[in-house]
Amino acid sequence: MVDQRLSIPRYWRRMPQYYRLEGVQCAKCGRIYYPPRAVCECGSREFKPYQLPTVGKLINYTILYSVPAEFEKMKPLIIGVVDLGGIKVVGQIVDCMNPEKLNPGMEVEVVFRMVKMDGTYGLINYGYKFRPIENC
Amino acid sequence: MFNTTEVYVVAHSLTPGGRHYEKGLKELFADSFLKVVDQVGNVNLGAIYIANAFSEALQDQSVLGAFLADYVGLRRVPAIRIESGDGSSGVAILEAYNMVRAGIYDCVAVVGVEKMHDVTNIRLNKALATITDYEYEGFFGITPAAQAAMAMREYMLKYGYDYEDLAIWPIKMHERGSRNPLAYMRKQASLKDVLESEVIADPLRLYDAAPAVDGSAAVILCNKPIKNDAVIKIEGIGIGAYGTYLGQRETLTELYSVRDATNMALNMAHVSINDINLAEVHDTYSILGILALESMGLVRPGETPRLLSMGALDVGNKLVVNASGGLKSMGFPGGASGMYEFVTMVMELTNTKPFDSLGRVERGIVQDMAGFDLVSTSIILKRVS
Repeated sequence: MVDQRLSIPRYWRRMPQYYRLEGVQCAKCGRIYYPPRAVCECGSREFKPYQLPTVGKLINYTILYSVPAEFEKMKPLIIGVVDLGGIKVVGQIVDCMNPEKLNPGMEVEVVFRMVKMDGTYGLINYGYKFRPIENC
Repeated sequence: MFNTTEVYVVAHSLTPGGRHYEKGLKELFADSFLKVVDQVGNVNLGAIYIANAFSEALQDQSVLGAFLADYVGLRRVPAIRIESGDGSSGVAILEAYNMVRAGIYDCVAVVGVEKMHDVTNIRLNKALATITDYEYEGFFGITPAAQAAMAMREYMLKYGYDYEDLAIWPIKMHERGSRNPLAYMRKQASLKDVLESEVIADPLRLYDAAPAVDGSAAVILCNKPIKNDAVIKIEGIGIGAYGTYLGQRETLTELYSVRDATNMALNMAHVSINDINLAEVHDTYSILGILALESMGLVRPGETPRLLSMGALDVGNKLVVNASGGLKSMGFPGGASGMYEFVTMVMELTNTKPFDSLGRVERGIVQDMAGFDLVSTSIILKRVS
């Protein structure tokens, strides 16, 4: 039996978020949240799904050299905060060969990538990452 | 109405942080716990509060309290484990305090214990990543170091500092640690050492991070003091929360949970922040120590690196910050780190060696925090005799 380290249901139930960056919008006041939540600042509990825009701006970033176990083979990771139409999302910045070119304010787009995998035979987790639009 | 009482710290002990490979959680726990028991003699402990963050992730152990209490021959004493990440200790002290204050127990013990070196570094990073919102941060590789690094970048931009300016935190902490035999890092560090150390998460370097250690520290809290001299009272205690996904924060340079916890503690003690003479802050990363001081109102926002480099927060000033050398020097024992801060503050206020040079000081504050501004506690200790 394969020693399964990544949980299928834990990943599967987050597919709308991991695959499509689906947040929620309050049906009463219109506030948008990512990640989704159950109660709005205005007190309302009524939300509808809201898909975040796929292009945004880099706000802040770091190049992370000391990484958790699953990311050992991918280090260093560039971790950034990205503003997608006013909603800030934290994630990996990829396809950047020259991190010194990274700059707050630069445009990035959402890409769909592998996040982690469970050995040779196990589950592969996919999710969003961000890529600078101009060469980097 | 509840018949509330004052709460005193009647015993304290600390096992210096290190790589205690020969000891498990049980032995480390017994080290500091038995010392406080010996200090008070025959005291009836109503409960033991255990601050520990990672026993499931690092030792495959839950219901930790039961096994630790049995190891010291107290299997019928409820041992309640409190987990609130690296801020577990402050919450454990708060819970213990409440039980004594409410008159439910006369005396309780609080013990912080953590073994960080039972696993390799990458496994430890994985455990530390659970302090983030794991579904949306840890899942993508985000760690507390990455969060601190981005806070550091924002701070540098906001106040116009270079990395060299912020390197004063590790330099000062190492200087204090070099005079503290209880410290894990007892070597002075030069600007060159800091600048040449490896980058963990740009701009954050190795010297900005408190080194992970195995450790334990303990206190006993009672509703009356057991001796007459150097009595330490918990004058005020507060807790604050600002748990949120990093992206939902408007700024990374203010710690709201720290601010709220401190205000609550100050209100309870009926004192102002200017009445505080000593502070031990939770500097798991230098930037978090800086932000804590500023969010507590001890230092004006943006001023900490400047004041530190002028020596204005050193021994001999109106406010002394991290006389112990902070977690940077004492080491970072996960959920036990707040107990290290608390015990060193008790030693500072009682002028116990190596803190005898501080002189007679009346009041100190201990700040503990989980993750990035998730849950914080502030505790004001006063020397009452």
